[in-house]
Amino acid sequence: MRFRDRAILVTGGSRGIGAAIATAFATEGGLVVVNYRENAAAAEAVAERCRALGGQALTVAADVTDPAAVAGLAAQITEEVGRLDAIVNNAFAPYRFDPDHRVRFRDVPWEAYQRQFDGAVRATYTVVQALLPLMTRRSGAAIVNLASDLVARPSIPYHDYTTAKAALIGFSRNLAAELGPIGVRVNCVAPGLVYPTDASRDTPEEVREALIAQTPLRRLATPEDVAGPVLFLAGEESRFVTGQVLTVDGGLVMA
Amino acid sequence: MSSVEQAGHLPGLPDEAIGRRIVEHRAWGETVAVALPSLSEDQARALCGHVRTRARETLRRMETARIVEAIDRASACLLDRAHPLRRKAETLLPVVTGYDRETVRLGLTSYLKTFRRPQLLRFLAEDFSNPGVLDGFQPAVKGGFVRARGPDLLLHVWAGNVPALPLWSLVAGLLVKAGTIGKLASAEPLTAGWFARLIGEADPELGECLAVTWWKGGEGGPEAVFLAQAECVMAYGGNDTLAALRAKVPVTTRFLPHGHRIGFAMIAREALNSRRAGPLARLAAHDIVRYEQQGCYAPQMLFVERGGPVAPDEFARHLAHELAALASRHPRRRLDPGEASSIAAWRSVHEMRALDGGAVLLGDPADPWSVVLLDPATGLSPSGLNRSVAVVAVDALSDVPALVAPHRAYLQSAGIAAAPATLFRLAEDLAAVGVTRISAIGRMTAPEAGWHHDGRFSLLDLVTMTEIEASAEAAAEGFAPYAD
Repeated sequence: MRFRDRAILVTGGSRGIGAAIATAFATEGGLVVVNYRENAAAAEAVAERCRALGGQALTVAADVTDPAAVAGLAAQITEEVGRLDAIVNNAFAPYRFDPDHRVRFRDVPWEAYQRQFDGAVRATYTVVQALLPLMTRRSGAAIVNLASDLVARPSIPYHDYTTAKAALIGFSRNLAAELGPIGVRVNCVAPGLVYPTDASRDTPEEVREALIAQTPLRRLATPEDVAGPVLFLAGEESRFVTGQVLTVDGGLVMA
Repeated sequence: MSSVEQAGHLPGLPDEAIGRRIVEHRAWGETVAVALPSLSEDQARALCGHVRTRARETLRRMETARIVEAIDRASACLLDRAHPLRRKAETLLPVVTGYDRETVRLGLTSYLKTFRRPQLLRFLAEDFSNPGVLDGFQPAVKGGFVRARGPDLLLHVWAGNVPALPLWSLVAGLLVKAGTIGKLASAEPLTAGWFARLIGEADPELGECLAVTWWKGGEGGPEAVFLAQAECVMAYGGNDTLAALRAKVPVTTRFLPHGHRIGFAMIAREALNSRRAGPLARLAAHDIVRYEQQGCYAPQMLFVERGGPVAPDEFARHLAHELAALASRHPRRRLDPGEASSIAAWRSVHEMRALDGGAVLLGDPADPWSVVLLDPATGLSPSGLNRSVAVVAVDALSDVPALVAPHRAYLQSAGIAAAPATLFRLAEDLAAVGVTRISAIGRMTAPEAGWHHDGRFSLLDLVTMTEIEASAEAAAEGFAPYAD
C-alpha cells in the first residue's frame, strides 16, 4: 500500500492509459482524483473500480486547458481532499494514431500544432500553476507527465503530436530545475504505442506487427504497462529522481 | 556497552575517594555510560581550597601569554582529527547528545578554531585596549596606573547540550586568571572535562587551577558549598533555574546569568530574487538544523519582506525543502517526550490559526521539521524548537523591531540579509529594542571569536580594576630615596 493516505490527480483519467494509472494508484491504497472532460459515466466507472480495489476516488469534470475550469478543480481538491501528493498529466488533445491517413507536413496547418501544444504543454502548465500551492504544503510531491517515445524515434511522423510532446519534455525539465529546491520532482513517462486505446485503435495490424518485430520485448505496451513506471515516478521509491524521461516501449528506443 | 567514560577533572582529590554516578546515554543504536563525579561537602570544600590556593600561588603570577599558549595547545589537540581525545569526542558525543556525527564533527571544529592563539589574542583585545593590565599595572590615559584581576574562585554553571559550548566561559575565566570550577551539564558532560585535562597536559601548573565537576542541582550539599565559596558565579539556563540559583548565591558574590533567548532572522526583498532566495533558504536551514535550535542564538522566526520576486510563501517552501533535504545528511536527534510535545503544541497553535487563513503549515507531523507561514504578520514568539520555525510575511522589515520589542528580555541574535544601508538602519532600531548581536544568515549559530555574549563583555565583566591614582603616584615621588 505505497500510496495509502496519499492523494493523486490523474488528468484524462476516464479511459485508456489514464484509467489504468488511476486504478493502479487505487490498488496501492491511494486517493485518486479522476479528472475527465466529457464522459462522466466512464469516469464514475473508473472511480468505482478504484474503490473496489481498496482505494478512494473522486471524479471531477474539467477541461484542463481552461484556467477557470482548472481553478474549480483545484478548489474542489483543496476543499474535499486537503492535500495533493502527485499529479499525473495524462490528458492530451484528441488525436488519432492512423499511419495510413496521417497528415503530411505540407498539409499540417499551424492550428494543428497549436491544438497539440495546448493539449500537452498548456494543459500541464494550467494544472501545475493551479495546484502547486496545495502540493508544496508537503515536501516530496511529484509530477509525472505523459510524453511519447516518438520524440526520440519518430517511427511515424505525427508532426503536431510529437512536437508538442517534445515541448512537454523540455517544459518538464525546466520545471524540475525550478521546483527541485522546493521539494517537487518532475519526470516524464514516454510510452511507445499503447494498444488497445481509443486513440490507437486505427493503427493497422501491419504497423503494429512491424513495431513488435523491432521491439526487443516483442509486444506493444498495454495501459497497465505504463501504470507501473508512473507509480514509481510518483512515489517515494524515486525520491531522488527528477527531470528524467522514462521510456516504456519494450526497448524499441534505448537512450 | 563498552567502558565507562569518566567525566570531569578534579585536581587535588584522590581518584579512589571520588563518588561516581553512572548515567547511560543512548542514541544511534549505541549506549555510552558516563560516570559523573559526585562529591561530598568536604570534598567540595577541599576542591575549592585547592583551586583557590593553586590559582593564587601560580596562575596569578603567570603571564597571559602562557595561558594563551596552553589553551591554544589544548585546542590544537581537539582540532587534530587523529588525536585520541578528538576521536573519542567524535565517537561518544553523538551518542551522548543525540546529534548526528557530522554535526558533532563540524561543530567541534568550528568552536575549537575560535580558541587558537590569534583568536584568543583578539578575544583579549576586544575587551582590553591594553591586555597587559592582566599581567601588571599599566599606565592609564587619565593618569595613574591600572590593573585588572579576575576572581580568585570563579564558578561556572553550564547548561544545555550544545557540545563544547561551555568552553567559551571556561576560556574567558582562564584568560583573566581566575581559579575555575565548572559544573557540567548532564546533557553534555564530557567536553569541558576533556578540555581541562588537555590544558593540564599542556601546562600542568595551569591544570591544577581548574576543576570540572558535577552535582545534582537544587539539593544543597556540595552545591551550597560551591556557591558559598565562589567569588563570582557565571550561570547558564532557563529563567527558573537562574532565579533559583540566584536566590542561593550570597549577596556579596557577583552573579552573571545568561538566560534563554529567542533568535530571529530578517530577509529583505533585495535578497529575494530568483538567484539569491534558494541559497539563502539553505543558509537559514543550516542555522535551524545546527544543534536543533538548542543554542540561544538559533533562529526561531524568520521575518521575510514582501515585494521581492520571491514572495514569503515561496521562501517558506524553499526553506521547508532545504530542511527536508538536510534531514538526510543531518538526521534530527531523537526527541524526548517533552520536546516532542512542545513541537506538537506549537503546531496545534498554528493549526488553529490556519483555520482562519492566517497560517499555512508546511510538512506533516511525522516530518523531522516544521515550517509555518504566518500572514498577516505576528509578533515574535518561540518555536517548538528541534527544526520548527515560523516564516512571517511582513510588508517592510522596518516593521520588525516593533514586532520583537515586547520580548526585549529574550532578544540577543538577529540574522540579517539586506543591503548595507538597510542593514545599518535596521541595526539601529534593533539595538534600541535590545538585540545585541547581528550576524549573516548561515552564521547565526557560529558567533565570531571575541563576541559579546548577551551584549556583555566576556572578560571585562569578570575582572575588578585596581587603580593607582595619579595623586598616589605623585605623592610617592615625595617619599622616594632620591627625592630632593
